[in-house]
Amino acid sequence: MTAKGMTRAAFFVLTALADQPRHGYGILREVEELSDGEVQLRVGTLYGVLDRLTADGLIVLDREEVQQGRLRRYYRLTDEGVAALDAEAERMAAGAGAAKRRIAEGRRAGTPARPAAEGPAGLERPTPPGLAGGYA
Amino acid sequence: MTTLLETRYRAVLRLLPAYYRREREEEMVETYLWDLDRDTQDQSRPTLGEVASIAALAVRCRLGAPGAPRPYALLGSAVRQFALFAVLLQATSAVVDRALGLTWAFTRGADERRMFLTGFTGQDTTGTVVAVLTWTLPLLWTVAYFALLHDHRRAARYGALAAALPTLWPLAGSLADDQAVPWMPWYDTPAALLAWLPVLALCAAHHRDAPPARLPAGSPGLVFLAGCVVTGGSIVLVPAAADTVWAPATGFVVGALGWLLWRARRMDRTPPGAALALAALGLLVLVVRVAALYPWLHVPGAGALVGGGLGQTAALVLLTAALTVVAGRDLVRR
Repeated sequence: MTAKGMTRAAFFVLTALADQPRHGYGILREVEELSDGEVQLRVGTLYGVLDRLTADGLIVLDREEVQQGRLRRYYRLTDEGVAALDAEAERMAAGAGAAKRRIAEGRRAGTPARPAAEGPAGLERPTPPGLAGGYA
Repeated sequence: MTTLLETRYRAVLRLLPAYYRREREEEMVETYLWDLDRDTQDQSRPTLGEVASIAALAVRCRLGAPGAPRPYALLGSAVRQFALFAVLLQATSAVVDRALGLTWAFTRGADERRMFLTGFTGQDTTGTVVAVLTWTLPLLWTVAYFALLHDHRRAARYGALAAALPTLWPLAGSLADDQAVPWMPWYDTPAALLAWLPVLALCAAHHRDAPPARLPAGSPGLVFLAGCVVTGGSIVLVPAAADTVWAPATGFVVGALGWLLWRARRMDRTPPGAALALAALGLLVLVVRVAALYPWLHVPGAGALVGGGLGQTAALVLLTAALTVVAGRDLVRR
């Protein structure tokens, strides 16, 4: 799986397995926690993701346990999985950094107009921003 | 002791194919029931979202998910190729139909131009919007075709979904008691199937885990151009026989015949399931061909149209039968 092709669900599943092997339910809970509750995987979705990550060689079965007559399988990252997660994290960090830089540049460009926009009521309205967001 | 919720959940898991259940059922049940209070489990049911996720996984497993046994992998390949061939057929037909329509309207004088434009403007606002959408939306089959072959699957799905919408106008009109687009079930139903089955196949089989779509031979642009030349040429050369199905049926006959010849020379490079996909598409085109031809059978003065339609029907029957035989042999061989 290339970084470009990694889904949000796959990213969080890989992240959930980054520190230790986990079983299905453990992955579900960890993904929910890591994403602040934003990503809540269904069991069907989780196993679709696990199948894909296994086929891509990013995770492998670590061990099996039988608890109260039920099967519990633990999965862990492979070296390829660590590398793919690392690459995806780098890509996301680079994207976030670029976004922050642009926001800061936008704020700096917008600074001269702000006092007029925030002036007292009744004063002349500031010139609306142009198409590119500037005031030229 | 098994709780009622576990029994219900296992019933939902029966949507999955047997090979997958053998491998995963116990593990999935454990994951699902992990933190649920055993005393209250009998009052719960699997949520709709949970059932939907299992249903989606079941479709994916049957259409060639990673690790699927050979029959499912073959079925997935056949469904994906059915979608690709059908989208190509729809795309070339839509482009040729509109290109020839525009050429006819704007090169034959003012009367023809007025007649063409009246099709859009000579009705109320809703009628105009419907006419414009009916004319433009099918062009999105082309977007779906190129998006699919460039591995933009989401764009391909949305394009095909939008392109197929106009086939629902007659049904929608009949439900709303609006006769602007008359509902002719004997023709509109197979025509809608010819549009919506490929959409369904596209959405279900070209999933994230599926291999990228590939044509058996040629580049996407060249194959599309060749399809346009064949379908357009069939109308230009035999205009008297050209009803709404003439061009796509000719496109299918020439394309399928070409594929059979190509297969005879390059059998080793034939993608699995291609013959099955073409046989299914041929059957669908045949049904639409017969449905479109039937009302003309006893109309005086429609001899050329009926003759052409009957010839196409015979060719489609022969080709579909040949493709079915080839598909059967491929299934045994593989």
